[in-house]
Amino acid sequence: MMKKHLKNLVILHILSTFLLGELNIYTHRHYESDKILFKSFTNQTGIKINVIKGSADQLIQRLKSEGKNSPADVLISVDAGRLVRAKTLGLLQPVFSDALDQNVPKLMRDSENYWFGLSVRARVIVYAKDRIEEKELSTYEDLADPKWKGRLVIRSSNNIYNQSLLASIIEHNGKRKATKWARSVKRNMARKPRGNDRDQARAVANGVADLAVINTYYLGLLANSLKKEDREVASKLKVFFPNQDNRGAHINVSGAGLTASSKNKKEAIMFLEYLTKLENQKIFAESNFEYPLEYQNADSEIFLEWGSFKADKLDLSILGKNNLEAVKVFDIVGWE
Amino acid sequence: MNSWNFLSILITLMIFLPIFLIIYNFNIESDNWAHIRENLLGKYIFSTLYIVLGVSVLSTIIGVGSAWYVTCHEFRGRKTLEWILILPMTIPTYIAAYAYYDILELLNPIFNWFRINIGIKETMMVESFLIYLIVIILFSFVLYPYVYLSVRASLLISGNRLIESAITLGLPSNKIFKKLILPSTKPAIIAGLSLVIMETLNDYAAVEYFGISTLTIGIFRSWFGMYDMASALKLSSYLILFVFSILITEKIIRGKERYNNINGSQNTFSKIPVKNKKIFLVFILCFTPFIFGFLIPFVRLLTWLLYSSFNFEDMNIVQISFNTIFISLIASLSIVCIAFTINFVKNYFNNRIVRKISELAILGYSIPGAIIAIGILKLNSHINTSFNILIIGSVFGLVFAYGVRFLAVAWQPIQSSMKKQCASINHASRVLSASSTTSLFKINLPILRKPLLIAALIVFIDVAKELPLTLILRPFNFDTLATYTYDLINQAQFFQSSLPSLLIIVISFPAIYFINRNTRDEL
Repeated sequence: MMKKHLKNLVILHILSTFLLGELNIYTHRHYESDKILFKSFTNQTGIKINVIKGSADQLIQRLKSEGKNSPADVLISVDAGRLVRAKTLGLLQPVFSDALDQNVPKLMRDSENYWFGLSVRARVIVYAKDRIEEKELSTYEDLADPKWKGRLVIRSSNNIYNQSLLASIIEHNGKRKATKWARSVKRNMARKPRGNDRDQARAVANGVADLAVINTYYLGLLANSLKKEDREVASKLKVFFPNQDNRGAHINVSGAGLTASSKNKKEAIMFLEYLTKLENQKIFAESNFEYPLEYQNADSEIFLEWGSFKADKLDLSILGKNNLEAVKVFDIVGWE
Repeated sequence: MNSWNFLSILITLMIFLPIFLIIYNFNIESDNWAHIRENLLGKYIFSTLYIVLGVSVLSTIIGVGSAWYVTCHEFRGRKTLEWILILPMTIPTYIAAYAYYDILELLNPIFNWFRINIGIKETMMVESFLIYLIVIILFSFVLYPYVYLSVRASLLISGNRLIESAITLGLPSNKIFKKLILPSTKPAIIAGLSLVIMETLNDYAAVEYFGISTLTIGIFRSWFGMYDMASALKLSSYLILFVFSILITEKIIRGKERYNNINGSQNTFSKIPVKNKKIFLVFILCFTPFIFGFLIPFVRLLTWLLYSSFNFEDMNIVQISFNTIFISLIASLSIVCIAFTINFVKNYFNNRIVRKISELAILGYSIPGAIIAIGILKLNSHINTSFNILIIGSVFGLVFAYGVRFLAVAWQPIQSSMKKQCASINHASRVLSASSTTSLFKINLPILRKPLLIAALIVFIDVAKELPLTLILRPFNFDTLATYTYDLINQAQFFQSSLPSLLIIVISFPAIYFINRNTRDEL
């Protein structure tokens, strides 16, 4: 009796896997919000999601090494540059879906539909409320001004967010000026780069420096942390969106693409459509304090507090294209 | 050539293959190499050297000092110290680094004062110096047990006779140490130290957090930042060259100065009594490494645990702990089986080719896990294009990768005890033409039960702590305590990460207990 029951269960299990399919995801995102959304996708569709988390770089290497036998269906990264790289290596395939076209603004996706943004990140200046007045701040370029000498902190250039920021500056101002900028910013640092964006915010709050360049959601995470010290850090800081009078603040996307080897194409596209749906964006992006794709309309309390902003309209693929150049510039000026 | 020899060579070559693929690709041309050489190479080499030198000096002082007192002296609390001094080994460098992550923040007021009153440049210099110092201290306090264990083992073997004769001659304690103990334990110090250095070079997460550009960081920057595998491999070659030169030095020194293998009986092990006045000092001296290397990080994690809010209903921590124990067990069993078999074949048949080739299989431990991962991925893509199958993404693939990296860990204890205890028996049984299978299972296995167990336990601890290989090669939905901890730290969920970190440490406890008991009983 028991045996028969077990047999039925096994058959049911096998059937369900074949009929509904599964979805295999390589993701660089490690947020709680993703877990919640993946689960609700499974509940709604019956499609089981399998995940491998890792850095996008390593996952891309893995995809490449697995070639057409790769089990992965979707690659999720935390910046556009890596998706451009995956596309260039032939690891992604284009997706044509009306829903995606509608959900994802043109600026937030690949011009040939190889990848789509899922959430938006703005890299901004945060400053110590008690030591700096907003009117002293203006642009990223201004951070090179000698008046900031010994007053700013920013993380290591090993980090992709800084590489992408410099990649955009190279595109806007040319390599020569960008090199000069990086050199001067390095000269203005209050300490050698170390730690992540959160640590930069902490440094400003603790008086090590007066301003830092960080991604906005880190401030959101600090403000909503379980730790009292974190919340105190956030309370001492204010967000400033640079370059509002010209090109706008530097943004990037966390995004996803369908792998070239995908064996569950239909499910994968459903999944991408699901993540970019307006109501799911609230969970996916906003619970992690990232901006949703429609960042202009984000109305959570914290976004209202930071204020609306104008974003740089630069084609995000450029960030990938200029990445190597940016890394080399950092090396040359000795920004570790 | 019989099937045993053939099998050994085959396994060895399989394990060597990923390493070969790394070394083989050293000479690929790369566009960025000139740029790296000009702007970065010097920096990478120097910061690596600083760290390695600092850690070597400090961990030797701690390891040798504590081993000398705990093994050769008699004082209250000695027995407890003997085993708690091994405990820091259970703490991975990345966990130690984040348990101490805010130590620099405590110094902020001083730095701020410095910055205003003395100058930014000077402050930066002092700060960089301090960062190096902190990293060196941090690494030394969790890695010294490798030196400690190796020196203690050597003292247990030869210290007895040395001390007995020295006491008879009326030499004072410090003279015994300088004139007799130091020279006689040199091979053991160097053996332990080479492990410390390899562990230091293996670290990525801790140095990255503290902003130090070591060669390992440089390899990642070239591989991922520039997307230049060729330069990454060239940098790896520098690292491997460096490590090989250490290994060769170790071999030369060890070869010259063989242990005097005289079996002293444990009952008559005479110890130097510590004078009443000095007991307190000695105790503090031996207790300090335990405090910094274990107690402080451990207690910090425990306090964080109190703040963490784990939802026990939806918790997969049980599953993750199970995964960790499961994969560590499978890996340590298979690795010990392989090390045992190949060593037996080497010892029993004494085939020249096997002897030479088997050395290749243990190179993996000297190469940082992240670089081994490059080799495994390369191997995977070759096999994939030729045979259309993937080796990564399965438990098998992961265990294979651990094998490449950790075979040496099991190899050393098995090799030395087999040489000591089985060589003549194996020779005899071959002359008497007993079957090799009988020798293997009926003679070698029972004799070497203890060293085999110790080897398995050390591999178990190493695998349970392993991070880079597991991160990049694991199957779907597969987390170990190490990857889970890393994931949570990445999200700055320090409180939450305390539970998996503590579990990594706690599941290594029984292993440490057995290792200590068995190394003590061995004599």
